Amino acid sequence: MEANGMPHDSKAGDWRSYDRVLLPAVEDLHKLEVYEEAENGYGRLRTVLEDDALDSDELINIVKQSGLRGRGGAAFNTGMKWSFMPEKDERPRYLACNADESEPGTFKDRQIMEYNPHLMFEGILIAGYALQIDTCYVYVRGEYADWISHMATELQKAYEKGYVGENIMGSDFSMEIVLHKGAGAYICGEETSLMESVEGKRGYPRYKPPFPAQKGIFGCPTTINNVETLACVPLIMEKGADWFAGTGAEDHPGPVLYGISGHVNRPGVYEYPTGMLVSDLIYEVAGGVRGDKDLKAFVPGGASTPPIPADRIEGVTMNSDSLNEAGTMFGTGGMLILDEDTDMVSWLRRVTHFFQDESCGQCTPCREGTGWLENLVTRIDQGEGNMRDLDLLLDLCDQMEGRTICAFADAASWPVRYTVQRFREDFEAKCKPSVHPVSAEVSGGADSAVAATG
Amino acid sequence: MSSFDIQKPIVELPDQDPDPEFSDEELVWTDAEQEQIAAWKEQYAEDQGAIMKVLWLAQEKFGYLPPEVVKFCGETLDMTFSQAYGVATFYHQYYKEEKGQFVLDVCTCFTCQMCGGYDILHYLEDTLGIHAGETTDDGMFTLQEAECLGACGSAPMMEVSNGPYVHQLTEEKVDALLHSLKDGEMPAFTSVTLPQDEDEMGGNRRTDVDKTITYETQPRAEHME
Repeated sequence: MEANGMPHDSKAGDWRSYDRVLLPAVEDLHKLEVYEEAENGYGRLRTVLEDDALDSDELINIVKQSGLRGRGGAAFNTGMKWSFMPEKDERPRYLACNADESEPGTFKDRQIMEYNPHLMFEGILIAGYALQIDTCYVYVRGEYADWISHMATELQKAYEKGYVGENIMGSDFSMEIVLHKGAGAYICGEETSLMESVEGKRGYPRYKPPFPAQKGIFGCPTTINNVETLACVPLIMEKGADWFAGTGAEDHPGPVLYGISGHVNRPGVYEYPTGMLVSDLIYEVAGGVRGDKDLKAFVPGGASTPPIPADRIEGVTMNSDSLNEAGTMFGTGGMLILDEDTDMVSWLRRVTHFFQDESCGQCTPCREGTGWLENLVTRIDQGEGNMRDLDLLLDLCDQMEGRTICAFADAASWPVRYTVQRFREDFEAKCKPSVHPVSAEVSGGADSAVAATG
Repeated sequence: MSSFDIQKPIVELPDQDPDPEFSDEELVWTDAEQEQIAAWKEQYAEDQGAIMKVLWLAQEKFGYLPPEVVKFCGETLDMTFSQAYGVATFYHQYYKEEKGQFVLDVCTCFTCQMCGGYDILHYLEDTLGIHAGETTDDGMFTLQEAECLGACGSAPMMEVSNGPYVHQLTEEKVDALLHSLKDGEMPAFTSVTLPQDEDEMGGNRRTDVDKTITYETQPRAEHME
């Protein structure tokens, strides 16, 4: 790809001089006083409430035009999602802010909750006004106990100031924000499972349809958005849809939080526009692979996004189109960097263990399948595996994908499928030699660097 | 000869009807708690929505959630025992059996795994003389292996008793932590500074926290080198 010797273009433009907007450099920004003073805090909500031209349809239109895509993993168009809400009837309407953040490798929403929670609250209120919401449930994972108590303090201040509650800022718009503390279930980040959990039930995902916009929490119209998605909304209102659409990659615009972890010199959460070159993020932003080692693989956004081998990252940028082309997904933007000494089999073993542990057990293909995936990968990792097991793994993935109520089974099988295909040498090295032919899917595919073994 | 006995279940099921740990006199809410529960009920269209909050409250009050406590919580919200028990058993963080005074949840999910999470877990197992999932004889510590706790940038890390996070663990840090926990001192909230704040603002932006650290790479455990 580097044939012409030209460096690849970053879609993030001049990212070195980028000024942060989600987490701007302001001391004590998490405090309401500072947020009001320094960031025109709740001023965007005031504009929306006072300007008659900015009615519900217009707000949804602005968000549509901005091209904002959900930051929780699926990257669905937010304005589109909002437009699914039905006409207002006698039923109450709910918004759920998904702060469950349990995807392994992801730790970016917590930074918003820690350093700029009011931006999230303001986003919730603007979204609430646009969708005529009565109550918003902020579903925070139970492990974030400290951050929940910090947010509760700040939310109380916002209530006292009249930004939340009855007749917000003297308008006829009223809305409640309720913090709902989870208790350690990964599946509750799935939208329908989250709704069950808010209703006080086991977090079993529901069939769709009916979609949440028709029948959500307590059977009423519901929209579910991620923390970072909602935090983008006040920025769109202030700077305009065009500014947002023009920041970063065209297909997947806006500022985004990259949570970089693993074998890098400087891990952490960085705010830059979308469309950053993966190589820029690893070598310039995060200071390169630690110990001056070579890169082996990179996982763009959480456990369920397939890993990419180092020789394929050239020119790949952090936006949906480019990552899809490279054979993976944007996910949550929680990037995991793995160096040359990483054993992908043992990595995959831990991934499968995670999914086995977190499967809710509602659908048989997932409940049983995740356990068998772990058993098989463990057997290979311990040197007891046969070549045939690689085939069996892929067969198992076929039996799981698309055969369950929610996407958990797909998320569990993708990393297995693609890790086995893309890092086949690691797996072969640990398997016992075999005389059995291995199927074309494993051996001969474009993804494999090794010829079929006899 | 096979040791299989058709009369004996292969898996020993836990006692289905254990003697209650808490008497009926103990299973009451104080006035303040009742007021709090009433306020929570207001937040949801159906009372059942408040069950997770009530279970959290009960866990704080009683230490863990044996069946009679779960039943009591359910009755508070007009739920059947099976509904409430279903919720209590679905979520990892509700303790269904008695735990040690401090519960150490060591994250070993893959980012922590790659940064030495298992070394920390094994070191704790050696130091405390227990396996993950067990409690020390003196009832002080319960050690658990946790799934991703959402602090991957400061791996390896752990959470203490569903509360504060302890980041960037090393063996020395673990020793110091165990020492202060034995003195009854919980670790303070630690704010991990954003790297961009470090560059642009010269440190952590929050002035209201005592303890701040920066993201940094941890030395890799020996066997991973």
